[in-house]
Amino acid sequence: MKRRALLRALAAAPAALAAAGARAADYASASEVFPAIDALEAEVGQRLRALSEAMPAARPLARSLLRDHERQRADREKLRARLGLPAGASLRAQASDLLSLRALRASQEALVHAHAEGLPAIGNPIAIDRLARHMVELSRHLAVIDLWLESEESGG
Amino acid sequence: MAETEGRVSAPLARREAMWRLARAAGVAAPVLGFLEGRVSALPRGEETDLAVLHAALAIEHEAIALYDLALKRSLFPAGLRSYAVEFRGDHLGHRDTQVAIAEERGGRPPDQRAGYGFAPLTNGDAALRQALAIELLAQDAYTALISQIRTKDYLLSAAFILVDEVRHLTVWRRVLGLKIY
Repeated sequence: MKRRALLRALAAAPAALAAAGARAADYASASEVFPAIDALEAEVGQRLRALSEAMPAARPLARSLLRDHERQRADREKLRARLGLPAGASLRAQASDLLSLRALRASQEALVHAHAEGLPAIGNPIAIDRLARHMVELSRHLAVIDLWLESEESGG
Repeated sequence: MAETEGRVSAPLARREAMWRLARAAGVAAPVLGFLEGRVSALPRGEETDLAVLHAALAIEHEAIALYDLALKRSLFPAGLRSYAVEFRGDHLGHRDTQVAIAEERGGRPPDQRAGYGFAPLTNGDAALRQALAIELLAQDAYTALISQIRTKDYLLSAAFILVDEVRHLTVWRRVLGLKIY
């Protein structure tokens, strides 16, 4: 179910509020959230690098987004230390269909959702604040990718 | 455009304009104090969740009122009307979700105000700039407040609402020729 539809369904049936957590990825703790984010970020990064190699026009966007990833990764390491979690490992993604904009969009959306669904499991206001700010940046990336897709699909 | 760019690049002026909007929307004093940086944290508890819900609802009501007015007057250019309709629908969904959460917790959510004193919406550009301002307020308010939410169901809903607000803001920034990455 799309998130927007889920929110509307929740609004129509307040008793369904409890079901929100059941539909979302059910992270039990921060120790599950961080590796999920790491893996999805690596996948988005792999797609951005492949697209920027194949499409020179995509390079400034890819560079900007990858810079944000790098900064967020460093932030997450500090948060891991604050929360007493082990350091993150360097990941190599194995995504397919690397030149597909739709696949990039799907990976980006999954990365945004991992943040949104992970926030309730973090349990530390400072870490929630920092990850929410990452989510805002990643949601902006998602909106930019949406606009790129719209432009491609309308022949612009 | 340059005027908006100037406001965006002047954090103090932007913050002042934002919180003026928040006060106009009816955001309550304790939450306003947190948003303005006069208090560093809100006490964690049901009361804070309800205060955040009410603040968020005040902003959603204002956004809905703005889109209603601009759509009724056909102020959005034809190619952008579908975005305005979509974003109005999102704000209605955010409102209804948060009204349901507030009522489930015994709160009495605020109603939409009779008037918001928007700057004169004389043309499409004015409507777009006002929409940009209210979406920026929504994004910044949810971003600032989310770490103060105690309950997991509302935190999850607020996170997905915030994702929508960022999309709205990014689209209007793109339309107005502002930097989006």
